[in-house]
Amino acid sequence: MTGAGTAPAIELINVTKRYGEAVALDRVSLQIESGEFFCLLGPSGCGKTTTLNLIGGFIPLTSGELRIEGQRVNDLPPHQRDVNTVFQNYALFPHMSVADNVAFGLRMESLPDDEIGRRVGEYLELVGLSEYRDRYPGQLSGGQAQRVALARALAKRPTVLLLDEPLGALDLKLRKQMQVELARIHRQVGTTFVFVTHDQEEALSMATRIAVMAGGHVRQIGTPREIYLGPVDRFVADFIGESNFLDGRVASNGQGPAFQLSNGTVVPIPTEPDGTQNGRVALMIRPESVGVGRGAPGGMTPNVVIDGRATNVAFMGNHTRITVQTDAGILVALRFHGESDEQAVEEEMLDQEVHVWWDPRESTVVTADDLRGSEEELRGGPEG
Amino acid sequence: MASEIVGGAALAPPTAIGVRRGARLRQLAPFLPAAVIIVGLFLVPLALMFAFSFWSTDENLDVIPVWTLENYQNFFTNPTYVRTLFKTMVIGTGVTIVCLAVAFAVAYFLARYVSRQWARIALLVIIVPFWTSYLLRVYSWQAILGERGALNQVLVGLGIIDEPSLLFVYNDFGTFIVLVYLYIPFAALVLYASLERFDFTQLTAAQDLGASPIRAFRHVLLPQIRPGLITACIFVFIPILGEFLTPSMVGGAQGLLIANLLANFFKNALIPEGAAVGFLIAAFVTVLLIVFRRYLRIEDVVVRG
Ligand SMILES: Nc1ncnc2c1ncn2[C@@H]1O[C@H](COP(=O)(O)OP(=O)(O)OP(=O)(O)O)[C@@H](O)[C@H]1O
Ligand SMILES: [Mg+2]
Repeated sequence: MTGAGTAPAIELINVTKRYGEAVALDRVSLQIESGEFFCLLGPSGCGKTTTLNLIGGFIPLTSGELRIEGQRVNDLPPHQRDVNTVFQNYALFPHMSVADNVAFGLRMESLPDDEIGRRVGEYLELVGLSEYRDRYPGQLSGGQAQRVALARALAKRPTVLLLDEPLGALDLKLRKQMQVELARIHRQVGTTFVFVTHDQEEALSMATRIAVMAGGHVRQIGTPREIYLGPVDRFVADFIGESNFLDGRVASNGQGPAFQLSNGTVVPIPTEPDGTQNGRVALMIRPESVGVGRGAPGGMTPNVVIDGRATNVAFMGNHTRITVQTDAGILVALRFHGESDEQAVEEEMLDQEVHVWWDPRESTVVTADDLRGSEEELRGGPEG
Repeated sequence: MASEIVGGAALAPPTAIGVRRGARLRQLAPFLPAAVIIVGLFLVPLALMFAFSFWSTDENLDVIPVWTLENYQNFFTNPTYVRTLFKTMVIGTGVTIVCLAVAFAVAYFLARYVSRQWARIALLVIIVPFWTSYLLRVYSWQAILGERGALNQVLVGLGIIDEPSLLFVYNDFGTFIVLVYLYIPFAALVLYASLERFDFTQLTAAQDLGASPIRAFRHVLLPQIRPGLITACIFVFIPILGEFLTPSMVGGAQGLLIANLLANFFKNALIPEGAAVGFLIAAFVTVLLIVFRRYLRIEDVVVRG
């Protein structure tokens, strides 16, 4: 809680971590600002836990520099870092009551007893477990144990709270509840949260910013919106939500930036690719941005329209998923129900000739090479 | 188990008293073998020994039931006996500490850093020697520690000492070394069993919460393996009170322990005196167990349950 001015809460500068020959993190740089809810998102084995363990001080860096509030902490042992962790398996102390678990870190700080008592009460209240203070961890449900772990770490009032897939062990419903709960707690305490998950929905719904990781690299950093709408490469686009990818190449139609699809059609794109998308590229359009119908699209927007054939229509509850085969590739469109839509109309589409269209402003050109494409350029700063 | 059965009987519909008494007896029948074993093989002999320890012998060394405290008085007024008892305690405590320290290091390493499968194999290797004869193992130590033993040959060969030392065997040092060797496996097994269940991320969590490694060890690991530590203490210390072969084989004339004293009494047909020593040891062990039990605190039960 030292006032280090404008220094980021956490800063990784060219951090590399090797386990023997294997590189778990390769020259990762990122900055996490104070008060953020920062998500590390990526598939299994991409180095999320490694990043968290480095920040927590549980494993040493191979090279690079780690700063907490502007202070270089490379060689500081965990118990001297102003950072606390919620472990994936909670790691509660089974021989201590809930209250003693929460008090443990405060006792290690040698705080006065009345202060410890106050804080234990305050943080158990925060996580809604005041009545459980005398229980033992063996007598708690998964969700309750999770909250105790949260209270135990937060009671230390750390600069940064690290959470390693804290919701991973919970069932879907509890998970959703805890997501809301965590967001509330974050707002209430204002501490910087660094949250690890491989669930993109979780990251999108909770994070202020997301770092998408793959193979020991950070592929992109940005707000959920930036990453969802403007993924830098096909991997990120694919990992965050469902996407349509149409192969082709950047072209020009004389009137502005354009993209030539594999069937030769030239379609407009919102902005000229900035040159980082060298190599193979693809045009990405989110399924919810794709319109589909047997007639031409209505509305005023200058839509791109191509023809195809509906090969699959699936009723998904609140929406219908329509797969369309075109000669430029396969496109998936989502139609949300409600308003005056009738699902019967969609079911009629099956095996029919249809039109698909999208607003060019909602399409993005991405690098199509999978992983390890051109990492040098892809590693962005906080602005992605 | 017993309470369940009684509860069941209470729920049974009311019947004639005689029938109920018969049912009672039938319910108690399963406990009969255990009762016979406990009473016949343990309580009665203990009572006999207790009685003998207050009797005396006549000039033909026949035991005569004349009540006296002499056997106990003789024991406590003979400095050699008291010193032997005291020495047994000291050696027992020392051996227990060394055993636990070594066994803990081994068990900790196996439980934390070695895969379960390899840990099992390592434990097996530690135990295998115990399938060979006790005598064989102690004779081997005689050979290792003796004047022309392996230890002396290595030390002389390395030039650390000029001539073979006689200090390694036929004294308390020899007894100590061999006892440590004999009891490490028991301690290692017990400690491994309790460390195996320990989740080591708790130590990381404790450090994360501001505990130095030593405090994390003391406040998080130690309380959770306390039952294992106490069991290991009991498994090592108490049998040492009854060790008489090792001291007589590698302890030399001065290296005798309390059990040798006991054996000598019986060898010389001084049964009441022997019974008194035996009873003293039994009483001491009982007190020890009661003290240990108090350290098995309620948290241990919760952790295990
Ligand atoms: N102690 C270790 N020794 C050797 N390699 C390790 C070690 N810990 C992690 N790794 C390797 O480092 C890479 C990154 O691991 P990390 O645990 O950070 O992945 P993760 O992103 O947290 O994955 P998950 O989602 O599965 O938890 C993996 O390839 C892993 O195999
Ligand atoms: Mg992980």
